[in-house]
Parts: sequence; C-alpha cells; structure tokens
Amino acid sequence: MNYFQKMRGNTKSPPRVGLAEMAWSWLGAFLGILAVALINYKFLDGTAQVMLIGSFGASAVLIYGAIKSPLAQPRNLLGGHVISAIIGVSVYKLFPGALWLAAPLAVATAIAVMHATRTLHPPGGATALIAVIGGTKIHALGYFYVLAPVGLGAAIMLAVALLVNNIPRSRSYPEYWF
Amino acid sequence: MGKKPAEPSRVHSPEISDEDIFAAMKEIPGYLDITPGDFKEVYQLAWRQARERLLRTAQAREIMTREVAWVRIDAPLQEVAALMARRKVSGVPVVDGSERVVGVISEKDFLRSMSSGGITSFMGVVAQCLKDKGCKALGLRQGKAADLMSAPAVTVAADTQVLEIIKLFKEKGINRAPVLDAQGRLIGIVSRGDLLKLDLRLAGGAS
Repeated sequence: MNYFQKMRGNTKSPPRVGLAEMAWSWLGAFLGILAVALINYKFLDGTAQVMLIGSFGASAVLIYGAIKSPLAQPRNLLGGHVISAIIGVSVYKLFPGALWLAAPLAVATAIAVMHATRTLHPPGGATALIAVIGGTKIHALGYFYVLAPVGLGAAIMLAVALLVNNIPRSRSYPEYWF
Repeated sequence: MGKKPAEPSRVHSPEISDEDIFAAMKEIPGYLDITPGDFKEVYQLAWRQARERLLRTAQAREIMTREVAWVRIDAPLQEVAALMARRKVSGVPVVDGSERVVGVISEKDFLRSMSSGGITSFMGVVAQCLKDKGCKALGLRQGKAADLMSAPAVTVAADTQVLEIIKLFKEKGINRAPVLDAQGRLIGIVSRGDLLKLDLRLAGGAS
C-alpha cells in the first residue's frame, strides 16, 4: 500500500453497542466522576488541594465505556496516570519558564514511557499536560500532584469501576490486573 | 478497500470476511477496542501459529492409514505385485514369521530389478523392454518378497511427530514408513499422501 492509499483506510468501523451497554457506561461514569467531584467541591473547597482533573473525564470513557480494552485495565489506569504525572511534574520543574517546550515534551515522553512500561492509558497524556499547563494551583502541589489528585483520584475511579462494571451479567471487569 | 501486498509464503486461513467479524463483534456485548481489519490480521497470524504447532505436534497415529496392505517375507513376487495393484498402493511392508516388519517392498524395488544400469523409472523400463524385445519382469516369476525388499525397514513409532517423519522421508529418500506399536507390531503406515492430507486439512482446503 502506498503512502496516499493508506490514508483511505482499509476496514470498517466497529458496530454500535446495545442500549444496556450505553446505560451501564453512563451510570459508571456518573458515579465515578461524582465520587471525585464530591471530594473536590464539597470537602476540599477552599483548600490548596484538588481531586478532579480533566484527564479523569477521559479515563471515564475507557473504564466505564470500553471496559474490555487493554487501555482500560487497572495496570494501565493506575500506571499510566502515575507515570505520566511524574513525568509531567519533572518536565515542568526542568522548564518552568518555557511552557511551549515543556508541554509537548511532557506529553511525548509520557506516551513513550507508558509504552515501555506496558501501561498505555490515553488520559495519561492529559495528566502529564495538566502538570505543565494546569496553572498555579497545580504547580504549587509539586510532586504531591502524583499522589493526589492523580493517584488517589484514579484509585477511587477504579473502585467505582469494580463495583459498577460487575453488576450486569453481560459485563466483567477487569480483564486482568497487572 | 485497500489491498495488502501479497506475501508469497503466507499461509491462508479459512477465508473470513470483515462482515463475519462485524457480526461476531455484534454478538459480544460491550465495546471491543479493535477494528474488524485488525481482528482479521490477528486471526490469520494466530491461524498460522496454530497450523505450525499442529504440524510440530501431530503424531503418526493421528495421520496414518490403518488398513495396511502387507506381505509375508516368503510371498511370491507375483502375489505381491497383484496385491499392490488391487489395493492401489505403491509400497507394502514385509513381515516375517514372528510378525516383525523386516522390510518394505515398493514399485521402486520392482523397477530396479527389471532394469539394468540403475534405471528406476517406469518409462525407463518400458524403453528398455521395447529395445530388448522382452520384459525382465518375467525373470521375477520365481522370486519372493525377500529377494526384492529394501531392508531393514525404516519404521516410525505411533507417537513420532509429523515433523520428524517429514525429515526422515527426506533423509532416507523414502515415500512411506510402517508405523509400529510399542511391541513392534504393525499398526499402520504413513505415506507422503497422508502428510499431504494433513497439510490440506490444516490449510482449510479439505476436511
């Protein structure tokens, strides 16, 4: 296949899921984000700590909406977020005055290291990016960002995934742990 | 749809279409994070793996022909030839009085004895017969299986793996091997045809 032929694609899109799958995806995502949002807005309001970051929205797509995907398994969810957070904070600390460089460097490095550690989790890219462009509140957390909101938030969402995804007979989570 | 470049050495799995895969994916509740195209590629590679594994691990007993035509060591060659013709086989094991396989007698052995100068092809013998005004087959009338057979017989055990058998055929330049059980009794025969049948079965061409 030549370069331009490749751009036409070579297969079809997977089928639409059933209504039950949509409903369970909705419920899991609602409860998972609800848990971290409650902590963020009800318990941590007015403090320097945050619990809700944008990349959790992306994780919700995977761990409640595509639960069979390797990208959605606990190893990838926890590993991908934590590793990317470490990389994001480190890159920001190295180039605090050059966000134009720190931003792509953090995301690209996060992807490469997630691959190397078999923990690829797409929201990890956002987690690394947020460490760089998340503003003063995130920057002030320093490496604590890795533990919370990232590590703890991901763990809470994982707990909700285990509880909700295993209720219907047609669903089972995870496929594997590590 | 784009076409993938043809790989000459690729072993094709039984044909599976994107529609088959799409339908199967629909039967599985939940979102599968894979395209039908990727699945097809995984399926084809997995099939090739399975095929190679089966080729490595299949044993003589699974592919051998059980209804073996065989002859006694003192059988007249006339009877041996008649049996081979009737059963449409090109070679038979030769068994002695205590049920041991002591040799194999094949078309090649007949051809060799019917021609001079090491000609072992049928047409070679025909050519010679026409030239010499007489067939040397007549000289075999008095012969017995023991006179013509290739001995000792190259045999395999019931659990000999197919890959080993293929190697053995190639090394010894033979086309068949009697299969013996642990007590050395004849239980079957594996021929090149049996190997071909296995290959076709694994390639999905015939059942």
